[in-house]
Amino acid sequence: MLSTSLRVAILIGIIVYYFILIMLLRQKRLTLKYTLLWLFSGLMMLILSVFPQLLNGITRLLGIQLQSNALFAILFFCTMIILMSLTSIISKQNEAIKQLVQYTALLEKRVREIESCGD
Amino acid sequence: MKILVIIPAYNEQDNILNTIDDINRHCPEMDYVVVNDCSRDDTERILRENRKNYLSLPCNLGIGGGVQTGYRYAAEKGYDIAIQFDGDGQHEARFLRDLVAPIEAGEADIAIGSRFIRREGFQSTGLRRAGIGFLSGLIKLLCGIRILDVTSGMRAVNRRFIEQYAVSYAQDYPEPEAIIAAAVRRARIVEVPVEMRERQGGKSSINPVRSVYYMIKVSLALILARFSA
Repeated sequence: MLSTSLRVAILIGIIVYYFILIMLLRQKRLTLKYTLLWLFSGLMMLILSVFPQLLNGITRLLGIQLQSNALFAILFFCTMIILMSLTSIISKQNEAIKQLVQYTALLEKRVREIESCGD
Repeated sequence: MKILVIIPAYNEQDNILNTIDDINRHCPEMDYVVVNDCSRDDTERILRENRKNYLSLPCNLGIGGGVQTGYRYAAEKGYDIAIQFDGDGQHEARFLRDLVAPIEAGEADIAIGSRFIRREGFQSTGLRRAGIGFLSGLIKLLCGIRILDVTSGMRAVNRRFIEQYAVSYAQDYPEPEAIIAAAVRRARIVEVPVEMRERQGGKSSINPVRSVYYMIKVSLALILARFSA
């Protein structure tokens, strides 16, 4: 079983976590679209620390000795998913920026040609 | 046929005018456009003051993004053939007519200027040739076509692949990847013997540390490109 002190620590951690997340969301420093995974991971940790018996199935299935280890494994998995989504977002933005830069260069040339006609 | 020579240039203030003169002297019937990839030296000022035909990227995109800008320009302006031609003085314009000949004759979609057919001119260093040989073998394995000079940046493509490359072109170290991308679309690719010079000035974009990264990245990209089409 998870020790009471660990469960309390996780709960406090999650409260702080949600406090920061919601503050950033309210100040519009985070876009909700990209924050859903963070909110979902936090919710999962909250449920698991309140009802640690939900971990029993996973610990038995994977042969993990300690519930806390199963919890950390899940947390690690969530982090990996979030990182992957970040890489995917960066790749998409990279492509968008590249197209913008190219489009700007083509436009700049047209503007330059139009302006030099007036000379 | 309307032919455009795309000249990617990054920090080429010492070479760029010579490159343009070389093309105008040997192939006056061809148009050219320089793609200045946000050079930090005087490349852009030189192009502007000499009223050369150029595109100037507001951010550095690397060779792939730069060349692709040239292909987008070629697509927009309705060119039939586009040629990539380095702005650093390594390529010689006297071979351009040979390069476009198979495309004008309708015998090929893509023509690659190759150093290794007649083995004349600057042959690159031993280690680099070994790397090129490996990539050449990998492309043969993946697509069944034998291209000797897979990293050659001197190549000509017809209208079909101008449009293709305008939409999608590999970003860093794009030359071998562009071959695979074309091969999976059943391009007819030929190699044309050319000579190249050792670079005249400026700095090569590939150093020893990057070459390991280069080989791994390009090999993975080739395999991925083969199986994602």
